[in-house]
Amino acid sequence: MSKQTLPILIAILAAPALAADDAATRKDLTSVIALQGLPCGEVVRVETQGENDHIATCKDKHRYHIFINSAGRVVVEKQ
Amino acid sequence: MRILAFASLAVLVAGCGAVERASAANPPESMTVAQAAVPAAPPLDLGSLETRLRETSAIGLMTKLTLRNQVDDLLNQFRAFYAGRLETTLAELRHPFNLLMLKVLSLLQDKDPALAAALAASREAIWAILSDRAKFAAMS
Repeated sequence: MSKQTLPILIAILAAPALAADDAATRKDLTSVIALQGLPCGEVVRVETQGENDHIATCKDKHRYHIFINSAGRVVVEKQ
Repeated sequence: MRILAFASLAVLVAGCGAVERASAANPPESMTVAQAAVPAAPPLDLGSLETRLRETSAIGLMTKLTLRNQVDDLLNQFRAFYAGRLETTLAELRHPFNLLMLKVLSLLQDKDPALAAALAASREAIWAILSDRAKFAAMS
């Protein structure tokens, strides 16, 4: 196996796992927003700003900052 | 990160289990022989339910934490009610309880239908604890 082949192979193998994680995060955040009774429909894009700190963009264009505050509560702020 | 995933709901369920175990160990003296002879319904395996709720992959981490927050809020409502700090009725508290159960069930039903069914079957047992001042105090 050439030196170039290994990184490409790793990237190909890792891609589905990363995609799955991303889909799981989108689904997780979609549920969080719905549980707060806020409009969204479905999260289509997530920008991760830190551990458990995300900006979620919804299908209906709403954007929310979702994070865990110091009291351990999940906070959903409309952007 | 240290997250007590679904801890409150688990505590709620575990608390119910503790109370039920205590009740089973100390049956009321007023229980008649006839009542005692009636075969009891199979006891809910609340310990197992607690573990399954904590470990299910059907609900994401942030969602579990959000549910935990909402369970905490509901339990605080019951505490305030029993302490006389909240003017409401048990009938009115049943509504947020039902809503929260529905939320959890809707999150579970597609990816963990067995757990959803187990939780649905435990619904009245959990309500029986919440709606009884003494049992709720024992749970808390």
